Amino acid sequence: MPDQVTQTRQRIRELLVEMHGPDSFVRNVSDTVSLRQQGLSSAALVSLLVRMEDAFGFEWDDDIQPEVLRSISSLADHVVALRV
Amino acid sequence: MTAVLGTPTAVTPEASIRWCPVPPPYGPREQSEAGRQAAAAALAAAGSAVRAVPRATGGRPDFPRGYPGSIAHTDRMAVAAVVPGAAGVGVDIEDAAVTERMARFVLNDRERRTLLAPAGRHSPVELFSAKEAAFKALAGTVVADGLLFWRIGLVRSDAGLVASFGGLSMPVWVCSEAGSSFALAVRRYGTEEPEGNGRSTADGGSGEQ
Repeated sequence: MPDQVTQTRQRIRELLVEMHGPDSFVRNVSDTVSLRQQGLSSAALVSLLVRMEDAFGFEWDDDIQPEVLRSISSLADHVVALRV
Repeated sequence: MTAVLGTPTAVTPEASIRWCPVPPPYGPREQSEAGRQAAAAALAAAGSAVRAVPRATGGRPDFPRGYPGSIAHTDRMAVAAVVPGAAGVGVDIEDAAVTERMARFVLNDRERRTLLAPAGRHSPVELFSAKEAAFKALAGTVVADGLLFWRIGLVRSDAGLVASFGGLSMPVWVCSEAGSSFALAVRRYGTEEPEGNGRSTADGGSGEQ
C-alpha cells in the first residue's frame, strides 16, 4: 500500500509536469500542500482530473468531496482507496 | 494573452469593470498586483473613497463595505468588477483551452444540449467562466461551504445566463473573443429561488464524465 501511494503521487506529479512544464511550481510543491493555493487554476484542476481518469482508469463520482481534490497526497489516497 | 474584452451586452449598469495588464515577468506577484490595481480603479469608478483591497482569511479579496467586488487574472491580464449594493459579485477571465472532455466534466447533459452550439450560443470556455464567476459570487454564503464550481447549474435567460445552486440564483453575463472569455455574476439580496427550485448537489452539476 505505501508503494502504491508513492507511485500514484509520482504519476500525478508527472501529469502536472506534462501540463505546466518541469520548471513550474510543480518542481517545488510538496505532496500535502494545497494545489489551488500554489496557483493551480480552476481550468488546470479540471484538466488534471480528466487526465487522472485516463491515467488511472476510473471516473470521478458526482459527489466527490472537495477535500479529496486539495493536494497531490489527497488525490493519490483517493485513487489508491478505489483500488482496494 | 488575454485581450481586454468588451463589457457583456446588457450587463448590469451599476457594475464598474476595470482592466489592468500584468507586467513582466508575469508571475504570481505581478498578477496579484495588477488585480489590486484593477480593483482600486473599479472602486474609484464606483465612487468608493476606500481603494485598498486587502486579503481576507483564505486569500479572498476583502472589498470595502457597500462595494462588493471580485478580481480575476490570467498571466497577462487582470480584471476587477465592483457592484455597489450587490450581495455578491464574481468575475472570471479564462484563456485556457477548455477541451471537450473538460466541458463534459463541468457541464451536465442539459447544459451541453441547450447552451452549447448548435442549440445554444455559448462556447465551452464561456460556460466554464460563467460557473467560476457564479462560484465567486456565492462566496460567504452557506451554500458555498465545500462547493465545487462545476456543481453550479446554468440555464439560458433573456439577458444571457442564470446560475443557481442551493436555492440561490443570479444572472451571469459572458462574452468572449479570440479564445478568451469574460464572465460577471451579480447576486442580489432577496433573490433566493422558490422552495423546490433550488439545484441540489446531486443535480447541479456534472462531475459527469
